[in-house]
Amino acid sequence: MSFLQYKKNLNPIVALISTLIIMVFGLVMSTKTECSYFLIGTTLWLVLFGCYKQLYKLLIVFILFGGFFAIIAYFTMGRNLSAAISMLNRFGTVFLAIVPSTSIQAVAMTRNLSQIKVPRYITLGMLITMSFIPVLKVEIKRVREAMKTRGAGSLLNPKIFYRAFLIPLVTRIVDISDTLSLSVETRGFTSGKSKYTIYKKETINILDIMYLLGFVVSIVLMVVL
Amino acid sequence: MTTREKAIAELVNFFKEENSVELLATSVSDEKKSSNKIFRKYKIKDIVFLAIITACTLVTGAIMPLLTSVPLFGIIQLGLGIQFSLFPVIGMMKVRKPFALVLQSIFISIFLVFMFPPMLLLIACAIVIEILVLLIFRGYKNDWACVFAGTLYMPMTIPLLYMYYNLFYTVSGNEKSAVSMFIGANNVGLIIGMTLAVMLVCFIGSVIGLIVAKELKKAGKLK
Repeated sequence: MSFLQYKKNLNPIVALISTLIIMVFGLVMSTKTECSYFLIGTTLWLVLFGCYKQLYKLLIVFILFGGFFAIIAYFTMGRNLSAAISMLNRFGTVFLAIVPSTSIQAVAMTRNLSQIKVPRYITLGMLITMSFIPVLKVEIKRVREAMKTRGAGSLLNPKIFYRAFLIPLVTRIVDISDTLSLSVETRGFTSGKSKYTIYKKETINILDIMYLLGFVVSIVLMVVL
Repeated sequence: MTTREKAIAELVNFFKEENSVELLATSVSDEKKSSNKIFRKYKIKDIVFLAIITACTLVTGAIMPLLTSVPLFGIIQLGLGIQFSLFPVIGMMKVRKPFALVLQSIFISIFLVFMFPPMLLLIACAIVIEILVLLIFRGYKNDWACVFAGTLYMPMTIPLLYMYYNLFYTVSGNEKSAVSMFIGANNVGLIIGMTLAVMLVCFIGSVIGLIVAKELKKAGKLK
């Protein structure tokens, strides 16, 4: 059952490649029936490699939005079923392509990019961007709570949105940025070309190769059959 | 302490003060020199701020995966126009250095590539805009240079995406069929109208960004 735990150890670059494979082939073939088989096969492959939780979460969103736009496509294209299937394929492709990327850890991705000598500016920026998204969600929640406490009113009012939401949020972001830059410098991150050591290197193992081979085989089958 | 020792201590203090004044003067002149330069070195705090402002752009642009599947020409740009002009303008107003937009685009693209790979073209758009800003304004010192860059950032992706869809489908053999899938993609009037609408939305977003940045500057937050 090691496959089902595999998601945690997925190499970030491999995850990125698999995302691109799903996206490119899914969108290119979205008008064909084979695309549906490719997407079903990809779903099973991702389940086998432990991404079932992410798939389950995205399935609900896919049914809601994919279904809605498929119905629109069906009626706008003159009750054309293939147009609806094509639309479902497009949505399915986009949602499935997101799944491998959700398994990527910010730190692992940064280490991996550092290994292949990507400039420090980019790896550091990426690490901060990836790590900051949950922090930002908390900050947005706090600002909204403060708005409720003050009885500021609805966010749909542009004046309230600007004065009570946007300005406090950006001010808080600037404060966090100042503190974080000091913290980053204290931890020895430099912007120059100074040498650094990667203590835990990301390597490609046999499961990574198997994982990618699955996609290659399905694409070959899709093209040949 | 004897008078002789006092005099020596005073002299030492005097020299120290003079030296510090000289050091301060040289550091100020160095800063002035570096601020006059067009290309300046990035500091850690610049990268951190740009990364954080990019996270804001990404969080507010979370509707991106849904918009990619709506077959209306230019809908992605129209839906993301405000967010992708407001936050980059704030970023450029704080980090007034060339390539600030390119760096933001790189950070954005790394994430958007998972949702919609052609968004890597944002980097190409940012490079074109940076060149234009350098040619016209010689950097981001002028506030309107930031607004100019923010206004053109998203609309610039429209022709690049159009080209991408043509090239993308040439590989599969169905020439130009991808573009024709989009509602209004063969209607020149609708394309021009959509481009103007995107530019208007981006201009509004950029001006809001400018106002926010000026307000923060007034409050002493944006140095």
